[in-house]
Amino acid sequence: MRCGVFLCECGGNISGVLDLDSLADATRGSGGVVSISRNQFMCGTEGRRLIEQAVEDRGLDRIVIGACSRRFQGPTFERIARELRLGENAVAFANLREGCSFIHRDEPAKAQRKAEKIVAAAVARAGFQSDLPRGRTFLHRSALVVGGGIAGITAAEELAGAGIDVHLVEREQSLGGYMARLSKTFPTEDCAMCSLAPQLTGAALEPRIHIRTLTDVTEISGPPGEFRVKLRQRPRFVSEACVGCDDCTPACPVSVSSEFELGVAKRKAISRPFANAVPSLYAIDKRGQAPCKSACPAGTSASGYVALVAEARFDEAYRVASEPNPFPSVCGRICTHPCESACVRGEVDEPIAIAALKRFVADRVGPETVVEKAPLVHSEKVAIVGAGPAGLTCARDLAKLGYQTTVFEALPVAGGMLKTGIPDYRLPKDVLGREIDQIAALGVEIETGQRAGKDFTIDGLLADGYGAAFLAVGLQKSSEVEIPGAELEGTLRAVEFLRRLNLGEQVQVGDRVVVIGGGDVALDAARSAIRLQKSSGREPDVTLAYRRTREEMPALDEEIEQAIEEGLKVEFLVAPLEIVGKEGRLSALKLQRCELGEPDSSGRRRPVPIDGDFSELEADNVVFAIGQDIVADFLQGCEGVEIAGSQIQIDPDTLMTKKTGVFAGGDAAATGGWTAIEAVAAGSRAARSIHNFLRAEALLEVWPAKDVEARPDADELAAAEVGQRTAVPLRSGAERRGSWEEVVGAYSEEQAIAEANRCLNCAVCSGCESCVRACPAGAIELDQVETIEELAVGAIIVATGHKEFDARRKRPLGFGRFDNVVTHSQLARLLAPSGPTAGELKRPSDGAVPKKIFMLQCVGSRDCTSSGNEHCSAICCLFATLHASLIKQHYPDADVTIGYTDLRAPGKSHEEYYRLVQERGVRYVRSRAGEILEEPDKSLLVRFEDTITRRKNEELFDLVVLAAGLEASSGTTEIAHVAGLQQGSAGFIKEYHPKLRPVDTQRAGIFVAGTAQGPKSIPDTIAQAKAAASRVVSMLSAGYVLTPAQVASSDVEQCIGCGICEEICPQSAVALTAGDSPHAVVDANSCRGCGICAAECPSGAMTLGGFSDEEILAEVMV
Amino acid sequence: MEERIELPEAEGAERKIVGFFCRECAYAAADATGNARVSLPPTIRSVLVPCTGRVSPLHLLKALADGADGVYIAGCLVGQCHYREGNLYALDRIEFARALLESVGVEPERVRMFTMSAADSPKFVEAARKMHETISNLPPLQRK
Repeated sequence: MRCGVFLCECGGNISGVLDLDSLADATRGSGGVVSISRNQFMCGTEGRRLIEQAVEDRGLDRIVIGACSRRFQGPTFERIARELRLGENAVAFANLREGCSFIHRDEPAKAQRKAEKIVAAAVARAGFQSDLPRGRTFLHRSALVVGGGIAGITAAEELAGAGIDVHLVEREQSLGGYMARLSKTFPTEDCAMCSLAPQLTGAALEPRIHIRTLTDVTEISGPPGEFRVKLRQRPRFVSEACVGCDDCTPACPVSVSSEFELGVAKRKAISRPFANAVPSLYAIDKRGQAPCKSACPAGTSASGYVALVAEARFDEAYRVASEPNPFPSVCGRICTHPCESACVRGEVDEPIAIAALKRFVADRVGPETVVEKAPLVHSEKVAIVGAGPAGLTCARDLAKLGYQTTVFEALPVAGGMLKTGIPDYRLPKDVLGREIDQIAALGVEIETGQRAGKDFTIDGLLADGYGAAFLAVGLQKSSEVEIPGAELEGTLRAVEFLRRLNLGEQVQVGDRVVVIGGGDVALDAARSAIRLQKSSGREPDVTLAYRRTREEMPALDEEIEQAIEEGLKVEFLVAPLEIVGKEGRLSALKLQRCELGEPDSSGRRRPVPIDGDFSELEADNVVFAIGQDIVADFLQGCEGVEIAGSQIQIDPDTLMTKKTGVFAGGDAAATGGWTAIEAVAAGSRAARSIHNFLRAEALLEVWPAKDVEARPDADELAAAEVGQRTAVPLRSGAERRGSWEEVVGAYSEEQAIAEANRCLNCAVCSGCESCVRACPAGAIELDQVETIEELAVGAIIVATGHKEFDARRKRPLGFGRFDNVVTHSQLARLLAPSGPTAGELKRPSDGAVPKKIFMLQCVGSRDCTSSGNEHCSAICCLFATLHASLIKQHYPDADVTIGYTDLRAPGKSHEEYYRLVQERGVRYVRSRAGEILEEPDKSLLVRFEDTITRRKNEELFDLVVLAAGLEASSGTTEIAHVAGLQQGSAGFIKEYHPKLRPVDTQRAGIFVAGTAQGPKSIPDTIAQAKAAASRVVSMLSAGYVLTPAQVASSDVEQCIGCGICEEICPQSAVALTAGDSPHAVVDANSCRGCGICAAECPSGAMTLGGFSDEEILAEVMV
Repeated sequence: MEERIELPEAEGAERKIVGFFCRECAYAAADATGNARVSLPPTIRSVLVPCTGRVSPLHLLKALADGADGVYIAGCLVGQCHYREGNLYALDRIEFARALLESVGVEPERVRMFTMSAADSPKFVEAARKMHETISNLPPLQRK
């Protein structure tokens, strides 16, 4: 090695602490050092000349620079080495400034000794440094601009002007950023939108600018010059056909706080933020599907009809509730409402009473709804066996699809278990009858008294011209009871007991009834028994015996509660052992006491008998409600259909049985729980599957894909006011006992609306589809999905902007707690002619024009506490001055006070503007505010200290405006992570060099502009955007760049092909070769030189250029 | 391990601590510390690495074997590594080195890991001072 050492004085920064001559002397003896020089500024021209000279004269092949940190001037010296054809890795660095003279000024002797070691280490390191090979990357003449605010728009326009294709990506639905929200701009007081709108239009019309809104950048890989960028575009749900007529927003029932209006106004779920938006299309804020919809087996948009009820739009609500379900009035009463269990409102207080709202709207609109016969479209007929909820739903849906359907029912009445299983006090028969009539009105033929296998056969129907059949026969008998005495007189089976009762037969029970079971059927039987006893003049005596505890009971909570109110006695943890009889008739029930053991396959804890612990209950009747079985007589003449375990065997995807053309669903072929809503869902699925079968094409999705579940975020939940659900009228237990009248009453209109308004709009869009109906252009596309796109671009500009400091973090100032404390950005909306108040200044609490206004500066800025930021936000003094001036001009009598820390008005014409506004009568008080208190009339008492007079003051104001400072936006933080950029304080992107390369980031080819880099005014933002664009133009004009020198590489001979490097590389830059003896290969363009692979490599084959083990250890060991 | 000789706190007993700093965060914080002219103990010798994930157990142990009394790695905050999980690898290797040292009777606190953001110069200073204090309170590392 022939090494030259170059020591920099750094204008005294180094030489003021270190004796460089003595340092040179100490270095002279180091192996390989053939030349030592010093200079005042080694990074300057003179320094460069010294190096060049030494290389030429002394034949140097290594250079050691003793100067500032390698992070500052490293590239300068590497470039010199490259240009002298030594290669950039010929330079080693001794950090004499940040690493020594700056930090050891008070211990010069120790600093000197340390400096000697640092230089010696660098010389030793240089001995191990070797030239690194570099390739060339040719540049894509295109750029990505991230962020569509004024910075991004300006940069994009500038680039397009230079003939470069620009992809302008914005995460919100329109370009415009923060500037679009401002009313006017300082110091000229010209309207912000008047300056911005032409820029927006220009960007939209420029063919070289490709705008993508609602889009996030999710990945950036590859080298500068040919970055590969992954974009994720969220669906807009509105197509290009949108003409911007605004017919949709009045139709949309969902209102939420508007992000564009910064919370001072509401917007609909379908909206456009402002009139000049680019693109001009509306968008639907649909964040997935609400948990209530996901939970519904039939996929009912509960949030949809709830939102419409809240707006008193009952007809439309009925449409939403009845479209997927022909039994809204029925389900509004007896549904197990999984939607309510999933309702997020339940985490705040109580779930929305979704079922009660459904009942309200279905009872109100259903009876007056006239159903017309559905036109026949297809020639195939479909036979449906069983007129329960599954069969009737299937028939209805097929009728709507244009098929002739016939429902065959064995019993003399239609309705299935809804009719024969559920007693009148829960579901009045006329309600069910009405909904069945409406199904029949579509043209569905219902033939009662027709039992399959006896009166007709399935095979016969298929031979007779039916194209398909749907078996919805249900589970029509109780499970066998296998305990001694089960055959004694007085034992009853719940299904048969309820059926006889509900078909109007005379049924009697004895004085003491025990019901065994814990499901809804058990409760129906028990409560019916109570009524039978009471209506025949006896005191009810009914006991429910259940093997587990209340917690494990499958019956609905409200059912259990109501039953107990009606006098039901419940025995938990008892299992029937034997029925004791006297003369052929039962007299008592012997019970085995149990305790809970381990959970079984259903997840519920298993009852385990306690040895020797028995009890006996005297009884006249025992009703078994312990399960149901299929009645399989329909199999007669139905060749090929198979049954196993009481269930018809089906293909779960298509619901088809083993026999082609014969489908099954509902309780007899369950794909979920044995509930009415599952049966409805099964009926719908079967209808779609049968349609596909008959058309021999997959036209409809049998199981519609579920959207992701959406829910309000933690902040929104915390902000929700805690209340309670609107109670439904309920007659007293005593009154109910002897009556078959309906137990639960209905909401009034007012109650229903109040209850519906409790909805939290989990997914924002409620899925009611009112907009689809309202849109004259047919532009609504609710099935749009997220798209991922990959692009190759040469360079990237990050213009992701800032966000306002969250003033809630300054709790004493009352923001978020007091209505009349707002921020300047919110005030901008209230002053904007296009804003929610049309430019009239109205205070939020009562809409009155405030007469006394206090503007408090430096909220979260120039603040060294943990809740604020240290930096000055740069624009707030002028922002407040502008707003004060606007108010003074609109309302000359208004009294406006600005409480400032220091008034900062640098920048062209700013000081003059400040003086002018002072002259307009705005009072400036140098002060520090302590706290803000709200008076009963919502005025605000501000306590502040005048920091000039040192006097403490208290003053009442009508409105307080906080100058909340600027912080990096969440988009800025995200892009920093995606692109691997450094962030400084408050999250702003760090520039490569604060003075010399202010728009370069640490990553080559990625530049930064606007408030993503730091707080600044609009003119400064625009200047910076143009600077960033100019950097891109100069970079892309070069045609090619060299691949980075400092990349990993693997030695083929040493590599054992273990693949660890491939697995751990964060850039996926390493891959194993295919074949018998695989070895690792590094893609130099993707590698970013972290060296994780080199440290993990077990064989030592992998090394990192510039940071080999030898190079690192040389520095450590000296 | 051999018996340690009690050395008087003399000039000759000045300790050496090697710090491996990642260029993304810790070295940036180190530079910020220098620019702010904050005094640091001269025992600290900084070594620039691209990412803390580059530092292998070999580097840690070699540093101790060849003259350092203590060695530490400073990198980005957990979850904010610029190369995703380099700092977690470093943390693993620190744990490995500590266990190894303990097994041969060397105080494991001679090896440590610190994390900080590029902007957090005070945290960098605190790490350096903590390391200096720890090592000053330990006898010089005896080698065979």
